[in-house]
Amino acid sequence: MAERRIAFRLNGREVSCTVRDHETLAAMLRDRFQLYSVRESCAQGLCGCCTVIVDGLAVSGCLYLAPLVDGKSVETVEGLGEEGRLDPVQTAFIEHGAFQCGFCTPGMVLMSHQLLQENPQPDQEAIAHYLSGNLCRCATYPEIVEAVRAAAQGSHVAKEEKSHG
Amino acid sequence: MTREVGRSLPRLESEAKVTGRAEYIHNLTLPGMVYGKIVRSTVAHGRIRRIDASQADRLPGVVAVITAAEVARIVQDPYYGPAFHDQPVLAVDKVHYVGDPVALVVGEDRDVLEAAADLVAVEYEELPAVFDERAAAEPGAPVIHEVIRPAATFTDLKNLKPASGSNVAMAYQLRHGDLEAGFAQADYIFEDEFHSHQVTHTPLEPIVTVAEPRGDGGLDIYTSSQSPSFVRMELARLLKWPENRIRVRTAYLGGGFGAKLYMKLEPLAAVAALLLRRPVKLSLSMEEQFYTITRHGATVRLKTGVTRDGRMVARACTIWWNGGAYADIGPRVTQKSGFTAAGPYDIPHVSIDSYAVYTNLPPAGALRGFGIPQLVWAYESQADLIAHRLGIDPWEFRWKNALRPDRPHATGTLMRDAGVLEVLQELKRLMRWDEPFDRGSGTRRRGRGIAIGLKAAITPTTSVAIVNLYGDGSCAVYSSTVDMGQGSDTVLAQLAAEVLGLDAREVRIVHPDTDVTPYDMATLGSRSTYHMGNAVLRAAEEVRHQLRAIGSEIFKCRPEEVELQDGHLVAGERRVSFKEAMEWRFGMQAGNLIGVGSFTPTYKKPDPATGESEDITTFWMVGGNGAEVEVDTETGRVTVTKLVTVGDAGKALNPGLVRTQLSGAALMQLGFTLFEEMRFEDGQVVNASLADYKLLGMRDLPSSVVAEFVEVGATHGPFGAKGIGEVGSLAVSPAVANAVFDAVGVRITSLPLTPEKVLRALKEQAGEIWEEVE
Amino acid sequence: MNAFELVRPTRLEEALEVLSEDPETVRPFGGGTALMLLMRSRLLQPRRLVSLDRVSGLDRLDLDGEGNLRVGSMVRLRDLELSATVERFCPAISRALLTLSNVRVRNVATVGGHLAHGDPHMDLPPILLALGASVVAQGPAGPRQIPLDQLYLGYYATSLQPGELITELVIPPLPEGTRGSYLKATALSADDWPMAGVAAFFRLEQGRIVEPRIAVSAATTTPVRLPAVEAALAGEAPSEALFSEAGRLAGRDLHCLSDLRGSAAYKREVVRVYVRRALQQVWAGR
Ligand SMILES: Cc1cc2nc3c(=O)[nH]c(=O)nc-3n(C[C@H](O)[C@H](O)[C@H](O)COP(=O)(O)OP(=O)(O)OC[C@H]3O[C@@H](n4cnc5c(N)ncnc54)[C@H](O)[C@@H]3O)c2cc1C
Ligand code: FES
Ligand code: FES
Repeated sequence: MAERRIAFRLNGREVSCTVRDHETLAAMLRDRFQLYSVRESCAQGLCGCCTVIVDGLAVSGCLYLAPLVDGKSVETVEGLGEEGRLDPVQTAFIEHGAFQCGFCTPGMVLMSHQLLQENPQPDQEAIAHYLSGNLCRCATYPEIVEAVRAAAQGSHVAKEEKSHG
Repeated sequence: MTREVGRSLPRLESEAKVTGRAEYIHNLTLPGMVYGKIVRSTVAHGRIRRIDASQADRLPGVVAVITAAEVARIVQDPYYGPAFHDQPVLAVDKVHYVGDPVALVVGEDRDVLEAAADLVAVEYEELPAVFDERAAAEPGAPVIHEVIRPAATFTDLKNLKPASGSNVAMAYQLRHGDLEAGFAQADYIFEDEFHSHQVTHTPLEPIVTVAEPRGDGGLDIYTSSQSPSFVRMELARLLKWPENRIRVRTAYLGGGFGAKLYMKLEPLAAVAALLLRRPVKLSLSMEEQFYTITRHGATVRLKTGVTRDGRMVARACTIWWNGGAYADIGPRVTQKSGFTAAGPYDIPHVSIDSYAVYTNLPPAGALRGFGIPQLVWAYESQADLIAHRLGIDPWEFRWKNALRPDRPHATGTLMRDAGVLEVLQELKRLMRWDEPFDRGSGTRRRGRGIAIGLKAAITPTTSVAIVNLYGDGSCAVYSSTVDMGQGSDTVLAQLAAEVLGLDAREVRIVHPDTDVTPYDMATLGSRSTYHMGNAVLRAAEEVRHQLRAIGSEIFKCRPEEVELQDGHLVAGERRVSFKEAMEWRFGMQAGNLIGVGSFTPTYKKPDPATGESEDITTFWMVGGNGAEVEVDTETGRVTVTKLVTVGDAGKALNPGLVRTQLSGAALMQLGFTLFEEMRFEDGQVVNASLADYKLLGMRDLPSSVVAEFVEVGATHGPFGAKGIGEVGSLAVSPAVANAVFDAVGVRITSLPLTPEKVLRALKEQAGEIWEEVE
Repeated sequence: MNAFELVRPTRLEEALEVLSEDPETVRPFGGGTALMLLMRSRLLQPRRLVSLDRVSGLDRLDLDGEGNLRVGSMVRLRDLELSATVERFCPAISRALLTLSNVRVRNVATVGGHLAHGDPHMDLPPILLALGASVVAQGPAGPRQIPLDQLYLGYYATSLQPGELITELVIPPLPEGTRGSYLKATALSADDWPMAGVAAFFRLEQGRIVEPRIAVSAATTTPVRLPAVEAALAGEAPSEALFSEAGRLAGRDLHCLSDLRGSAAYKREVVRVYVRRALQQVWAGR
């Protein structure tokens, strides 16, 4: 069975490990690094439970081969926020009750975070387009849209404060 | 004095969920653990001639291949089920649907297991199969189970009489009033048939179980179950062990919706672990969930007599439930849902015949609403149809016929604490029913519709809770209620905190662990807030009683004069903390104050002949929905632009959670209404993946989603609260279909409302011929 | 998923060499999104995968001297979506990408993989077909250019030879004043694959339709141009009646497939309506 040693940045730290060529990124992160925010559900790129950020881009960990992250930077929800402080998206999700069972939540949070990086002031349609590849079987969608809006407002306010101060 | 009750506290586990650290069995790995992969039947009905596992067995990395023969070494009588003992751990001699588990391959490498499963060769002698519930109920249909044995585990199911030798596993009937006299009084009689399709739960955390044999001869089960107490009881029965040899633990569930009830993977995982003496993990793929549990398809026939002025005087309901190959909880659906089939209406003469029917499809069980949405689909579509024919406003028609307080329901039970009128009024307000409505133009026609549904609680059932105050004055609640997203941890903590004068965030909820947490019937049917809530209240009150006794000794006053506030005992000016009280009582930081609460509501068994009972349910659930839609008259596509949900919460203990549950349930049901549908070819599910069985996504969200509750206190509910988890889903389908009718004048009687179905109806209405292509 | 070996050559010749070993069990790997689905459902069990992600020279995205838009096969769909060059060149492409699968898939999926897969439900082929695009293929026998109408032979079947790779997509410039539209009909959820896709382009000269191009996909076994419809439109003055007639013709001529998302009859009906609507959109300048 083909195997190889790869080295990459994982949530800000250099790591290396041996992976099998046919191993998925989701399986590697769970089995070898115990990063359980990455969850496999549909296994078809449709639900977003396995969302991982690779070199700044969101990918489906279930459809991504682990060996391909060699030399790249990989982030999961575990790496979000600074020094134990929650990211504004996470805070907004809590304040707006934007989840029920929480299984889809890490993926939703990461995608929302990516969206706000690309588009700090998304309207409803932009949110719907960006998150259309993330499913929530508990259908907490209205609350998620509100949380993303609020996080956008928050980051907007924070930025303005900075530029004024 | 209520500070906790009525407060929209965020979920206690919020931070764990947004950081991805919340515990799910999905994530559990144990040392030495092996994985299993189920080999499933490829035929819908057949005898197993031969199973050849030799090739699979030889594959490097395969530890074992298990079939019914190996199961027999652990369990002699391998049949289980909550209503009937009809489902074997692995198929014995016969398979009953495509997907029926036939063998299990076990090994360390999940990729190898997939290949190994493909290599297990099974030869079948095919038998005639039947898939349609009406056809299966006919005499002469191929009989799926020759013998049906009742389970008798649950009180409410004890007197079920399964009918062997036919696919009608159970027939329930209700006779109220004098049907013929009723129809004789009617000016018009409406006869319609409505069909609900098969859908499935697809929780995003697929069903998963880990079984681990213990050194002391016992067995630990870690499972994504909604019913840990039942799992222990039923496993103990299969193994012929005392219950105390088995320990069942759950964690947060990544959704349940009824899919994770009773036993699913637990028996097979347990047998495999006992055979191999190692921990075994069985996880379903998303695809396999489609083969495991579904929601009943149903045919509902309604015959309703109405007077000229719009009063319903008689209704005959006949329901055939497509139960699939194993009964699961279908018989309870047949009975408990069956008796509400005439709707929340005051109809003096009612008959109901409800049939649980076996077919060669994957088993059907409970899915958010326990069969009620299928019934509401029928009676609220018909209500609309009648109102239109009589020229009465659909809301007025419902208002006129609604069951008012203290009027007898068809079962004979008086309507008490049921917010039928309140829900209707709130629905009217939120839909702006009296205001002018933009009906669209050209190829985009707009319409609106409403519907209302009634559900009874599963009665009688028991919940037990323990409240434990530790030596430092901190508090924990031990309950076997499973938090699968509904927020039960938070609400139970709020209830305990309310009684004990604590902040709910300080209360620890100990998750289900049958060695530790006491019995609970199951987390289902919107029962936990009501039943477990009462148990927790009682347990907390017992601890409060003990604390007051201590306080009365410290303060030298009467116990009633001692208040509990912010973790302190207070009498007038004097305060001591709970910690100090414990020290006073035990002489040091030590000991426990333990309160045990248990709750079983009253119930009177229905008369088997008439189905009547004066105490059929401990509370009523009432939910209404309203929809505004836009129909593209050229493609048939229905866009829901506004979805209103109103539920009777009794008393909203946590209004934020109540609203989220209401809208979540409604949106889930909206997916079932518009496009979710299991499709079969010769019994084979042909869209068993989220690529072809599409769930409602972000871009399907109506531009306005409104969820509100009314509060018609439940006399015996904790602070008047009722269950709310299913209420939002009850009436969505007919509300949307009624809106479609309002928009374009076509009445769709079978779900889902796909664009093709709507366009066909539009063409037929216009007298156009649809050109068929091969 | 079965075990396989992943190779990551850096030069095209190397990639072609590995591919020539045995086209049955060695497959090119672009973004892998389609391959992973096939492998995970065990429909495909390759021995070796040749990832093109490190092969140099496959990532251009610009206009050549003749004004053709040239897109390297390893350009990610999301880069295409966000490219200002593409937006200026043909806004219909940028818009179509917004609802093509989802952000995560577009971040990974490549133009080469999208075109080589041969799945008739893909969103870009009908647009590219209407635009008269072609692909450059490199194989053991050297490079060749394949017009898109010769690339798709049938359901999941292309004219690519074993061991041949798509290296580039070439889209000729649109005559000044040409406008286009792509409409995607979904039958189930809004984020679903198309049940039918319709691309329409034309320009007006002295109030007459010039060079109309209509292509349909998803409802059919391959994406197809509709020459009869185009002929009926050419030289005519735009009108509602004309567009309705075009729709009628489109529906009449099309051989549709029945599947989970709709019967053939229904799909023809939808194509009829969508062809008309796409033309109306072009006319209205949206
Ligand atoms: C969840 C999901 C939803 C989707 N929804 C849509 C949708 O709505 N609309 C739509 O249009 N598409 C959709 N897609 C398809 C998506 O666009 C394709 O998966 C993608 O375009 C394939 O690109 P890839 O680079 O990942 O291909 P790969 O998986 O790498 O390859 C696909 C095929 O092409 C071959 N191949 C790859 N590169 C080359 C090359 N350079 N030369 C020759 N052969 C090559 C491979 O061997 C394989 O046979 C969806 C995909 C997913 C996973
Ligand atoms: S598990 Fe990867 S997207 Fe669903
Ligand atoms: S919160 Fe349960 S799936 Fe989204």
